[in-house]
Amino acid sequence: MLLLQQLLNGVMLGSVYVTVAVAFTLTIGVLNFLNFTIPTLFMLAGMIGWALAYWGLPFEMSGPLPWPMALAVGIVVSIVASLIVERFTFRYLKTRYGDSTEHAIPLVSSLGFLLVLENLVRIGYGTDAQRFPGPGADLTMNIGGIFVRIPQVVSLFLVILIVIGLTWLLKHSRIGRGLRAIAENPDAANILGVDTKRVVPIVFMLTGLLCGLAGALFAVNYGEVSPQMGEDIGTKAIAGMVVGGLGSIWGAVLGGLIVGLIEMLTIHFFGADTVQVAVWGLLLLTLFVRPQGLFGHNSIGKGKL
Amino acid sequence: MLLDVKGLDVRYGRTHAVKGVDLNVAEGEIVTVLGANGAGKTSLLRALQGAVRPASGTISLDGKELSAASPAARVASGMMLVPEGRQIFVSMTVHENLQMGVYLRSDGDVARDLEAVYDRFPNLAERRDMKASVLSGGEQQMLAIGRALVGRPRLIMLDEPSLGLSPLFVSRLFDLIVELNKSGISILLVEQNTTMALDVATRGYVLELGRVVIEDSAAALSTNTALTEAYLGGGNETSALTTTGAQA
Repeated sequence: MLLLQQLLNGVMLGSVYVTVAVAFTLTIGVLNFLNFTIPTLFMLAGMIGWALAYWGLPFEMSGPLPWPMALAVGIVVSIVASLIVERFTFRYLKTRYGDSTEHAIPLVSSLGFLLVLENLVRIGYGTDAQRFPGPGADLTMNIGGIFVRIPQVVSLFLVILIVIGLTWLLKHSRIGRGLRAIAENPDAANILGVDTKRVVPIVFMLTGLLCGLAGALFAVNYGEVSPQMGEDIGTKAIAGMVVGGLGSIWGAVLGGLIVGLIEMLTIHFFGADTVQVAVWGLLLLTLFVRPQGLFGHNSIGKGKL
Repeated sequence: MLLDVKGLDVRYGRTHAVKGVDLNVAEGEIVTVLGANGAGKTSLLRALQGAVRPASGTISLDGKELSAASPAARVASGMMLVPEGRQIFVSMTVHENLQMGVYLRSDGDVARDLEAVYDRFPNLAERRDMKASVLSGGEQQMLAIGRALVGRPRLIMLDEPSLGLSPLFVSRLFDLIVELNKSGISILLVEQNTTMALDVATRGYVLELGRVVIEDSAAALSTNTALTEAYLGGGNETSALTTTGAQA
């Protein structure tokens, strides 16, 4: 019974990894860019959500906001932050220096954004983990001895809906075709009139939305936020993405779930100290045995949507 | 004049790829641009479509100034480039590739225009839901041209369309170019297959190291043997190499 409970917890934790892994997959698949700001965007939604729900608007403009509204604002902040990153790293460098920047500079500048934002939040709110004033334990159902938290079930369905929506968007909409065209051959896409300056911000907006949502789900489900909450989730989501296969959204979904399950099962059988070894061991094993990942159809590093 | 180019300069860093090119295409013409590898032909076409920003010079289509316009604006005004090496999207289906040709449009005629391309290329119609990667080289070239056609352009620019095609497909390709031209599309054709290009073209330009060195009617260019010797890396250059080889 405890094992079953752990499996369920694994799926729930996995759904947070899934959302973040899908965000990573989107930028890698379309822009061939490992966006290191993703963990920060995740953290921003949680921390801003907490600050608004605990303190209210800055300068005492209001009292504490209701937690759903606080998280909604947190998600919006995460989207805006993502667009700012696009405007001042990716677009600036790409348009100014063209493709000579390759991938290293956007990568490094996104890492810069990660550290600056994370430390700004630390300066503002301290490094301590904060209790998120979300829904209490009354929203828990006991089904035959297994505890199911309703917010977790809702978020699981939300994640599934979003992934389905995103795959539909990529597959069947004009924007989706434009994104895939840029992913495969930016030059040919450009010649046909796909305007990179208009399409790329959409990727960053979706990234902000996914990360913000994941951060909000995390705050609600685990009741705790901190300025460094993105680091562990971010790295495990990358592991999940690679295990699932670079450039495949369903690969990211499967990989994220696998990492969540491995984490919970490792804790169950061997204790929490072994989690990192198990997750990263799995990643290395995958790279060794099947470098393209479970769903990846391309060679490693060539992940395209 | 449909396309009118004046004093076009293209630079990549220190490389001066296109130097003060004047070129025009009248409504209904097939104009060819010839030249050896590295003469600046591809740079010229890419500048015309807006993929590279020219250092100086003007480009206008039907009197409309487009030098600073985005590729999207040029597509919307009726210019379409079929790039070198086809550049179709192999991860997409045939149909999705054609849809990319009308990426900017959302009017009610799109479906009809797509069907018109399928009518012209029945091979593509049969494979419409297959990944473009399974097409043969010739079919991929048809798809690249089909993708350019869906938007009903006024001017199609083709960059080395015969490259890598079997002789049978090459002659079909040139038949198609003539056919498209008869249906009212003006054509700017960059080719290394000089004989075939001059056969279908009305006029031609010869480019050397980024400069236009000869501009004449296609008929005059085809009888000009000095041309092939001097600029197009034709028969004589090869024999010179052979001679050197024999001596060594």
